[in-house]
Order: sequence, then C-alpha cells, then structure tokens
Amino acid sequence: MAEIVAAMAMTHSPGLTGWFDRAPEDQRQQARRALDEMRERLRAARPDVVVLFSNDHLLNWPINNTPEYTVGIGPEHVGPADWYDEWLALAKYRIPGHPALARYLVNEGARRRLAFAYLRDMQFDDGVSVPMHYLNPDGDIPLVPVTMNCTVPPIPTPERAYQVGTTLREMVRAYPGPERVAVLATGGLSHEPGGPRYFWVDEEFDHGFLDLLKQGDHAALLRECTLERMEAAGSGGTAELLAWILTLAFTTGPAEVLAYMPAIAWRSGTGMVVWPSVKN
Amino acid sequence: MGNVERCDKTLPVNEMIFYVRRDAALRERWNCDLEGLARDFGLSREEYEALRDRDVRRLNEMGVHQYYIPQILRLFYGASANTNSHPALEAYKRAYPDEAAASERLQERLQERLARGRG
Repeated sequence: MAEIVAAMAMTHSPGLTGWFDRAPEDQRQQARRALDEMRERLRAARPDVVVLFSNDHLLNWPINNTPEYTVGIGPEHVGPADWYDEWLALAKYRIPGHPALARYLVNEGARRRLAFAYLRDMQFDDGVSVPMHYLNPDGDIPLVPVTMNCTVPPIPTPERAYQVGTTLREMVRAYPGPERVAVLATGGLSHEPGGPRYFWVDEEFDHGFLDLLKQGDHAALLRECTLERMEAAGSGGTAELLAWILTLAFTTGPAEVLAYMPAIAWRSGTGMVVWPSVKN
Repeated sequence: MGNVERCDKTLPVNEMIFYVRRDAALRERWNCDLEGLARDFGLSREEYEALRDRDVRRLNEMGVHQYYIPQILRLFYGASANTNSHPALEAYKRAYPDEAAASERLQERLQERLARGRG
C-alpha cells in the first residue's frame, strides 16, 4: 500500500522562469525563499514519486476534444515543449516517469467511474516545467503528471475537483506497492491569461483563498470558493486553483502559506503552500 | 461567468492555433503565407483579417479562446522575454486601455506599499 508523504501547491507563472528579474526585489526574494523551502521539504519527505496536478493549456488536446483529466504514463517525461522553451527560458529537461503507478491510476480510475485520458508522450508547458525547474531541478524524483481542464468551458466545479481528489487519494492508498507519494498542485492564483484583465491581480480574492486554506476547513472552502468567484477574480486562469482544491483532498488540517505576492510583473497572484499534515 | 465563456469552441481559428504551435513547418508558413494557411484550416475572411491585423479585441469578441490570443501575438512578435512591455503585451494595452490603466494604478499602489515596507 502506497503512502502519501507530502502535499504542496504553487503558482506556475511563466514569469517565474521567463522574466523572473522583472518583479520587484522583495517579490523575487520571497519567491526564492519559498521555493527553496518547498524543495527542501519535498526532499525531506523522501518521495519515490511526485504526482503533479496541473492544467493543460490547450497544448496536449485540441479544443474540439478536451478531456477533464489526462495522465502521462510514459517511462520518461521530456520538456518543455518546443513552442514553450524560449518563452520559459528553460533548457530541455528529462524526468523519469512511473508508468506502473500512472497506468494503475488510469485503469483503477475507470473502475471507480472516473474517465482519465492518457498520453504516452505528454507535452509540457509552464504547468509542469516551472515547478519541476524549482522543486526537482536534477530530475531525479520520478513524476506522474496529471493534467486537468481548467480553462475550456465547461470548467469543472470545485466540488467535482475535490470529489476526484478524494477518489484519487483512495486509489493511491490502495496502490499495490510501497511507494512514498508526494502530491503537488500547480496553477493560480488570481490571473486572467489572455483576457482583457491580463495585467490584473485580485489580492483580496487571493488572501481570502489562502486564509481558507490556513483554516483547514474543506467544507467552508468549497462553500465560499465557487467557480463564479474564481472567474470574477480572473477569468480562465484563477480556476487553475481547481488543482489545489483537488490536492486539498489529500490533506488534513491547516495549510502553511510560505509566500504570497501580488506579482503584476509575472501577471499572476503568486503563492506557495505546504500542508504539514497529509491524510493517509 | 467570465470572459473565457465567450469562447466559440467550433471556430476554425481555435483549431488552427493548436496545430500551428506544435509544428515548426506550420509556424514557418504562418510567417510567409498566413492567408493560405488560414484558407487550408477553413477560417472565414473575418477570422483571417483579425489575425492579420493582430486585432486583440476583435479576436476575443469573435470567440477565439483567450489563452490563444497571446500565443497568436507571440507567433508574430516572438516569445522570449515576454514581459509586460513586450510588443505582444503592448498590443493588449492598446486593445484594453481602461483595464491596462487600472492595472497600472494597482501596480503603483503595490510599489508604494513595498517602498513603505522597506522604509
């Protein structure tokens, strides 16, 4: 039986690698400190594999066919995708996959009424590349990427993400192997990529969301953080927090907020969070 | 719901951008034969002209997915150093001057707060 050993969440703004130096020094320092802390805590948890939840930015699937969830099942993950490396200012990286766990998630998901698409050769944009650059820089922690649709209507609800997270947690726990599993959510906070409010950050929403995480009351968060509220805080981007809400189902108790920056230079409310207590 | 709900999932340009981003040969053709490329993907004249004119507001209003619009601009202007003063982002400021001005004011307030924090 696998064990959940860490749960974390972070923003994946392309500016964190592509134009990091454009943010004020205070924000750069906060981001560096928080990312160093996350990397150390991830190492300290000694995971055999990271299961990463992020959204596909219309890279892997065309708009006429966008699955709700997709699992990368390949033996190795290579990124960033060609179109993204210049934008992210990142060299190509290679990270081993964990095909046994990934394929188990697809098949066991189907048995539990969850339709997970899969890709043997998944392409990677900022959603995976930015967090792996900071948290898994040597690419030595195997990765199972799980992408979600958070941007093509109909956008799934927070309740749905939490429900899928609950089932995924049960599935990981039931995995017939001794793996130590870290879960990592990437995306958010408030932002509206490509919309009229492209340069806007909704600080009030972000603080409210992070306060709800700090309270650790999942029902209260689901009551207050509706899809409508996320859309109002930044359409088509803030709902990437669905990955955080899914990951919430692997945790218990309050989250620890390592940093929050209303980083207009990175065009995103930017935050890093760890949950000291995971649910096994 | 928000701006993303304006998206017309059946608009041919929304299909085209997916393939252009993933294919170096199509990206090359974007630069030298955009009109022919648009015709091959079944774009309407209106879609092609909005692309050709790099018209952010018109692309958004006709239902291009909002995430694709900056990518369209990056195909024209390049993708590196995509800061808020990159030509692709300047096109947004011209398309949405009120929203850009509001963000500018917010940025100034945040910078004042940071400066006070340091002082």
